[in-house]
Amino acid sequence: MDANRSSRIRKRLTRWGLNIALFLAMAIICLPGLWIVLNSLRPTVEIMAKPPVWIPHELNFDAYVAMFSGVGSGGIPVIAYFRNSIIIAVTSTVIALAIGMAGGYAFARYRFRGKSGWFLGLMLTRTVPGIALSLPLFFIYAKLGIIDTHFGLILAYVAMNVPFTVWLIDGFFRQVPRDLAEAAQIDGCTRWQAFWTVEFPLARPGIASAGIFAFLTAWNEFALASQLTRSTNSKTLPVGLLDYTAEFTIDWRGMCALAVVMIVPALALTYAVQKHLVSGLTAGAVKG
Amino acid sequence: MKLLTTTALVLVGATGVMAQDLPGKFDGVTVQAKLIGGQQYEALYARIAEWEAATGAKVDVISKKNHFELDREIKSDIATGQLGWCVGSNHSSFAPQYPGIYADLRALLPAEALADFVPATLDAATLEDKLVMLPRAQFDVSAVYYQKSLYEDEANKIAFKEKLGYDLAPPYTWDQLADQAKFFANPPDFYGTQYAGKEEAIAGRFYEMLLSNGGEFLDAEGKPAFNSEAGAATLQWFVDLYKAGAVPSGVPNYLWDDLGQGFASGTVAIDHDWPGWMGFFNDPASSKIAGNVGVAPPPKGSSGARSGWSGFHGFSVTEDCATPEAAASLVWFLTNEDSQKLESGAGPLPTRNAVWDHIIAEAASDPYRAEALAAFQVAAQGAYPVPRTPSWIEITNVVYPELQAAILGDKSVEDALNAAAEEATQVLEDAGEL
Amino acid sequence: MKPWRLSPHILLLLPAVLVLLAVVILPLILSFWSSLTPFRLTRPDSIYDFVGLRNYARLMGDGQFWSAFGRTVLLLTVALNLEMLLGLGLALLIERASRGQRILRTLLMFPMMFSPVLVGFQFKFMFNDNVGLVNNALQSLGLTNSAIPWLIDQHLAFFSIVVAEIWSSTSVFAIFILAGLMAMPRDPLEAARVDGCTPWQTFRFVTWPFLMPFAFIAMTIRSLDVARAYDIIKIMTDGGPARRTEVLWTLIARTGYADSKMGMANAMAYVAILLSILFTVIFFRKLAQSREQIAAEW
Repeated sequence: MDANRSSRIRKRLTRWGLNIALFLAMAIICLPGLWIVLNSLRPTVEIMAKPPVWIPHELNFDAYVAMFSGVGSGGIPVIAYFRNSIIIAVTSTVIALAIGMAGGYAFARYRFRGKSGWFLGLMLTRTVPGIALSLPLFFIYAKLGIIDTHFGLILAYVAMNVPFTVWLIDGFFRQVPRDLAEAAQIDGCTRWQAFWTVEFPLARPGIASAGIFAFLTAWNEFALASQLTRSTNSKTLPVGLLDYTAEFTIDWRGMCALAVVMIVPALALTYAVQKHLVSGLTAGAVKG
Repeated sequence: MKLLTTTALVLVGATGVMAQDLPGKFDGVTVQAKLIGGQQYEALYARIAEWEAATGAKVDVISKKNHFELDREIKSDIATGQLGWCVGSNHSSFAPQYPGIYADLRALLPAEALADFVPATLDAATLEDKLVMLPRAQFDVSAVYYQKSLYEDEANKIAFKEKLGYDLAPPYTWDQLADQAKFFANPPDFYGTQYAGKEEAIAGRFYEMLLSNGGEFLDAEGKPAFNSEAGAATLQWFVDLYKAGAVPSGVPNYLWDDLGQGFASGTVAIDHDWPGWMGFFNDPASSKIAGNVGVAPPPKGSSGARSGWSGFHGFSVTEDCATPEAAASLVWFLTNEDSQKLESGAGPLPTRNAVWDHIIAEAASDPYRAEALAAFQVAAQGAYPVPRTPSWIEITNVVYPELQAAILGDKSVEDALNAAAEEATQVLEDAGEL
Repeated sequence: MKPWRLSPHILLLLPAVLVLLAVVILPLILSFWSSLTPFRLTRPDSIYDFVGLRNYARLMGDGQFWSAFGRTVLLLTVALNLEMLLGLGLALLIERASRGQRILRTLLMFPMMFSPVLVGFQFKFMFNDNVGLVNNALQSLGLTNSAIPWLIDQHLAFFSIVVAEIWSSTSVFAIFILAGLMAMPRDPLEAARVDGCTPWQTFRFVTWPFLMPFAFIAMTIRSLDVARAYDIIKIMTDGGPARRTEVLWTLIARTGYADSKMGMANAMAYVAILLSILFTVIFFRKLAQSREQIAAEW
């Protein structure tokens, strides 16, 4: 009787302990982000204060208003940056997924010589640090005249994301039983039709998770973008962050406001696809 | 006959320049420009439309980036031979790295167009006998910002006099600044002063104080000469403040942004800093000490000279530009009197005499701004740029880690300076300058 | 004679190979060539002066380079292992939460929305010794009455960078391991319980082996793009003070762009690439091993 009760109490305590641990962990994850949001809403004098101001005295949207005002009144061309970011991130993600699906399908469904070597080689291209690529890439882009264009950045991001998308999607196609597609082909479908009607729907979660990773990479990338973009023709939001720095000064508040503008769409997208995300990563890891 | 054609050519050339009535007419010309971006710099670019209307030309802004990114981009352009654009933002600290790519503006603009610029600034913009850029109203030289109330406090005055034997007043020499900083410091709640502790920032401060202490950074032959007695005394100043806890212990990682935020938080007594912060420090929305800020000219070193490392932004015209006259006209327009009035109205310092007079007259009703402008004007008179070697930035990159090592106590002052001088010598040798 | 046709797998792989050839391999060949020259950005002609392996030979005897190299290896090892452990803990906590999974999973990925540049600024300001959030909090709570020099002290600076890096990247591990947990078959767990295993034994001998491949795939992905830590370190300390936090990427970027010595920088970059290839190959092999184990057991 007594032993039973004490074990119940212990269980309850453990559960509470774990809930508190979860809460703390989430707090640590979220607080730095909320700090950014808060900083964008209050005057600089409160952000860098000592003694610290924990409870804001004054909240306003001045930084956001200023951001959208014209040049000269604290504005930056945020709409152009946003448009560039969207175009570049979305297009490069779609292309990387298409190429990744083709590549992943090849690895999953065909046997050929040196397959694992090719696979590893493809992955290793991702290990090259951006800094080693930036100048030669700039050189090639300059010769081709695609500096400061959407196309240039899209190409670079497709290359950055292809290895990973190939990998995840390959794992997914392996998970789809070969017999299914073969059965469909016997039923009179072409291989192409079999792919779209049978294999693709089953692999959709994998594609979604590869997509979100590719999108976030392209959305946040800075090192290459700072080298390959120059003006409002193609500058993306992460590069735009530096518009808030001058030689000696920094407008941390404005930077935080722009950061919020960057984070919100990414967060919304993640929320929308996160269900696929979790199941999508599964197959990629186990099969492969 | 030959003589005749030569004369004719010279005449044509000369009239081509002299007859140009600025801003001139350039119908159908398109000028490609690379401009420094960022809020502080962009208000001026609104005037580009006026220039376009006046001249009939078009400006195509092909790049807008911050200072460091732009430097990187221009180097990439040089490396890959992409210099066909015409107008570029430039900076006095970066310009010596690439004097070859920019044209001499004296040959492109009439003398009277240049007459009103502060002569020392034009000198500083002259490299290899070419005027490579026209300075805009973004002139930077440091002055001493301080919290007035600390100096007006009677108890402070008495205690200071007792301890140090002279009256408490805004610092006149670097030694006084150090005395006062140590006097006011009460870490971790309050600090006497602070300095930027990395990159060109600390190397530049070291350089200007070294000169004001009678030392040399590079000697007459261009060899590093800062590992001297004056050099040791200068570096010792930084070390002592750090050891005494008179500066925040984070200074070796501070850059200008940290300095400004720190002083505005009201936790630092004295801040030797740039004019870009003038408005920020006195604005209640951004600064705790608004209304309590005094500004004094930069202190003097042991040689009796003030320090005065200056820097300025300007615009250059490339040698490869196909339409240099139009480009020069744009550069002139963006740095002319009206443009400088527009820019300096927001705070930055001008580089034209007439505009200095104008802003000082305008500040008459604003005692803070008047005091600050007076201090910066004194500073500007004694200002000089960094050594004009293409390797300056590279030298600062080998020097600053050694300065930091001495400040943090990893090395003695002498060892650090010797190591820095050795590495700097190697840099200059590798670059073929020694 | 049969008409020559590309086999379908080549056709399918072709786009991936072409893109990577154009954007990665071709630039790499160019940068390899420049690593054999004294190429300076401000003197474009210097790219034609072939000096053989001189840059590499210089690197071999360069103490600063090797200490940056050692520090990079240390940083990678410490950060990746901690991220894996914390990610595992986080995933286990979230998996057992009965409500709010959708929200929790989205929040879990919150740090991934932050551009590394932003993370750099954020942590630089938070770790500021004078007016930073961390010291302010510690002082307000009475935990310390000194200003802790987070970004200055040899060990603290390294620690601060690791914290920023972990904050921004633990999500990747957590989300992969969470995926593994959710896909885990229930039967073996049940069997372990019936056999009277303690929770620790169950975890150690049943759950963890199943999660291993997920952890290693995350590890591999992270080691692939770990150079993004460059943006964070560049802004937080830029390798300073007094080279205490210098890593390969900060050194390479400074040498290549600020000092214009691109030839030398590319030689360094090649050594860095060898390092990341090594890390990646190690993780790949571990991944293959752990997959085989799963395949054998389930």
